[in-house]
Amino acid sequence: MSRPITFDDFVPGAVMGETILVFEPALAQRWRSIFGDAPADGAGGAAEGAGLAVVMMMRAYLSIVVPRPPGNVHARQRLQLADTPRCSEAIRTVVTCLAKEIRRERRYVELRACGTGDGGRAVYDGHLTLIWAA
Amino acid sequence: MTRLLETATLSVQPAAIRAYAELTQDFNPIHLDPAFAATTPMQGVIAHGTMSICLLWQALFRSFGADAFQDLELDIRFVRPVRVGETLTAGGRQRTGDPQEFDVWVRAGDGEDRLAGTVRLAAGPA
Repeated sequence: MSRPITFDDFVPGAVMGETILVFEPALAQRWRSIFGDAPADGAGGAAEGAGLAVVMMMRAYLSIVVPRPPGNVHARQRLQLADTPRCSEAIRTVVTCLAKEIRRERRYVELRACGTGDGGRAVYDGHLTLIWAA
Repeated sequence: MTRLLETATLSVQPAAIRAYAELTQDFNPIHLDPAFAATTPMQGVIAHGTMSICLLWQALFRSFGADAFQDLELDIRFVRPVRVGETLTAGGRQRTGDPQEFDVWVRAGDGEDRLAGTVRLAAGPA
């Protein structure tokens, strides 16, 4: 196993990778086990879909930016949600490093995770600000 | 009149954190390993930040239905860690002078924000 990605490894402007994740029914079932399975909870509806957009964004980041040092902290999240992903839809997410800086002795990394669905339709454009552990 | 979002609540138990870790494939030990988490600046296990975003989505869904999630813009900070056993409540308040923008939060039982920021909806609330 290679060494963890450190703060020094991030290159602002560089595309770090891309991945395709399919909105499978099992993901929705797992979401419902946490957030509820009633229509009023958003199960089978837009709250579930928007939640799974966030889940797919995180999965993409976590599968592309590897290996990570333990102990990173998610500090800020900006997200433009154009639409929710649809069941069985394949979401392609491209992860790019936008910026990095050290503030108050903390290592901040900003990543962009941009997700598109069938036919290239826009689904989400997320900016993750992370405090990198190493 | 300033509009408040319908609230949504979630009890953050270890099983929920484990399930969310499996959902996101985020097995960062700061969420799952008390011994490791105790050595970090967080000084203990914390829940995944984006779990609170999902709770906020439920508050928006209860308030506006599916329309809220068309061209929505979110900008939030995870201002305090969410600890095991906390009960979270997501809510929000319409900003004065802008019917499409809401100050939003997720708070624990101590009344302190865990997540705070803004949501902008493309369509004005009905």
